[in-house]
Amino acid sequence: MSYYFTILSPTDTPIFNIAFGTSKGGGDGIARFRFPDTAQYMNQFIIHSSLDIVEEAQWTNGGMYLKHIDTYPPAAAYISAFLTPSGARFLLLHQPPQLPNSGSSGGLGSSSLLGSSGNLVARGSTSSIAANPTSPQTEEAVRQFMTEVYESYVKTAMSPFYKQGMEIRSPVFRTRVTAAGKKWL
Amino acid sequence: MAAPPRHSAMLSVSNTAGTPQSGSSDKSQTPQQPSTPQPTQGLRVPSNRKTIYDRHLNRSRNAELSRASFAYLFAEMVTYAQRRVTGIQDLEKRLNEQGYPLGLRLLDLLFYRTTTTSSSALSSSSTSSSPPNRPLRILTLLHLIHGPLWRLLFGRSADALEHSVSPDTPNEYMITDNDPLVNTYISVPREMNQLNCAAFVAGIIEGVCDGCGFEAKVSAHNQPTEMWPSRTVFLLGFGESVMEREKVLERAGIK
Amino acid sequence: MSSSKASRIGEEIWKTRIDKVNAELVTLTYGTIVAQLCQDYDSDYQEVNKQLDKMGYNIGMRLIEDFLAKSGVGRCANFRETADMIAKVGFKIFLNVAPTVTNWTSDNNQFSLIFDDNPLADFVELPDDGRAQDELWFSNILCGVLRGALEMVQMQIEAHFVSDVLRGDDTTEMRVSLVRYIEDEMPPEEE
Repeated sequence: MSYYFTILSPTDTPIFNIAFGTSKGGGDGIARFRFPDTAQYMNQFIIHSSLDIVEEAQWTNGGMYLKHIDTYPPAAAYISAFLTPSGARFLLLHQPPQLPNSGSSGGLGSSSLLGSSGNLVARGSTSSIAANPTSPQTEEAVRQFMTEVYESYVKTAMSPFYKQGMEIRSPVFRTRVTAAGKKWL
Repeated sequence: MAAPPRHSAMLSVSNTAGTPQSGSSDKSQTPQQPSTPQPTQGLRVPSNRKTIYDRHLNRSRNAELSRASFAYLFAEMVTYAQRRVTGIQDLEKRLNEQGYPLGLRLLDLLFYRTTTTSSSALSSSSTSSSPPNRPLRILTLLHLIHGPLWRLLFGRSADALEHSVSPDTPNEYMITDNDPLVNTYISVPREMNQLNCAAFVAGIIEGVCDGCGFEAKVSAHNQPTEMWPSRTVFLLGFGESVMEREKVLERAGIK
Repeated sequence: MSSSKASRIGEEIWKTRIDKVNAELVTLTYGTIVAQLCQDYDSDYQEVNKQLDKMGYNIGMRLIEDFLAKSGVGRCANFRETADMIAKVGFKIFLNVAPTVTNWTSDNNQFSLIFDDNPLADFVELPDDGRAQDELWFSNILCGVLRGALEMVQMQIEAHFVSDVLRGDDTTEMRVSLVRYIEDEMPPEEE
């Protein structure tokens, strides 16, 4: 599984981006997107195309973690969202290592709990999180990841010198996000 | 102490090309940033490596300081602001603007704390505490301000919460504080007796509303009673788009 | 008066005679003051330091009366006693911290206050602009407070920070020097 995580300001400006790969099931933590040369561009593009859905969900679901909200089949990309109360959006794009062999986008709850459901051809050793973007385990792992990032985000935002919408450049913040990714994803 | 390296123009991934305020987002970027860490630059840290990220957000949760210290600082803030403005309205506007970012911060802090109190540790993966909900409706938002926000700031709830009775202003709500802390210790110069320093608190409220997606104008008004000479009413006027959405959500049965 | 006695007095007053507020309200308010100054002075941090010191001076001049009334302490016998009174009583009752008094010069006219805790700086990370960590003294208001307060009790002092954990230093240290006693009628006994 490859991940692209971005934080968008309330006005949709990316204020933090990071790409990483799964560390579960023997993963080495390195992102391997299907279109490596254009991954950054594609990922931002896919994430932004899901913003309409995020905005809709934002006003029907009061939770901070909105779970998996969108799928972009051409790139087999799944988007999960977490909204901070102050209007920042945490968006996580996950892309399994290979295309699903059926046209199904892996509907919520339809996948086996073991994560070895037929709609994914898992390569090598897999865990449910690494292979199946919509399983309950994955949802829970992403929630944990988001919550942990949120803690670091609040710490950033509490500083009197941080203004909403400013890019988060702290290397410590980046380290924290990386660690949370390693731990949960 | 070890001489830390000077930071040169520090940049991490920076897909935003240093224009965090600009609205554009899908600009072309440098191809494939591997997930390798960037050279660690940025701010120097003490040798124990402690940064804001190492400090627990609840550490000062129940900490107290002298009320006098707050009053001194707040009075200096008002005095300083006064030097840079031309009239009371200007001054209140400025105090409001200084409160606004605090509202955004307090909002995140409040939610963080509610998320983490039900189950003590974030790391305990088995117990999934149910985090609080973001307010979707005006009333939920107002309760958040009247209760949790006030308690965080002033150690007690606000004294009243009302909806405008006038049919012309259904978008107006009032939160009353009988004895606002920011007025208790602040002596306003006589020529400024119209000034209500609670404009600062109004700014905080406005930040909270805006942060939650409820565009609003908030102002503070002196409404003394015999019993409460510094009683202050915070008037919240929500924008049209908010009222429109409110109707839609009402019909959809969303609370 | 011994340092430990001063500590006991400070604790006692803090517990029984001080009206309190949520510490975070104070911390966040101070943060907005400094951030606002940095914005108004266009990140001219020298100027921000100066303004903070000035604000502190105004506060100090008013605060001393409050301090004397609350603490009921009399005149200090010498500058060493003054230092303990500042650290263990003054800082305790206004900021709920008791910095360590140390690094005296041999003439007993200069000492350092080391802050293990500084509620003003909670949550704070200085701007990462390559200058703030070299130029801004975030808590500089405290220097002004000391200067203003002591001037009201006939002591002219000079105070400045020499290190700050916000700058990446290992300690937060303020250096305080006695310049002179303002009125001749009350030269203290030096031992």
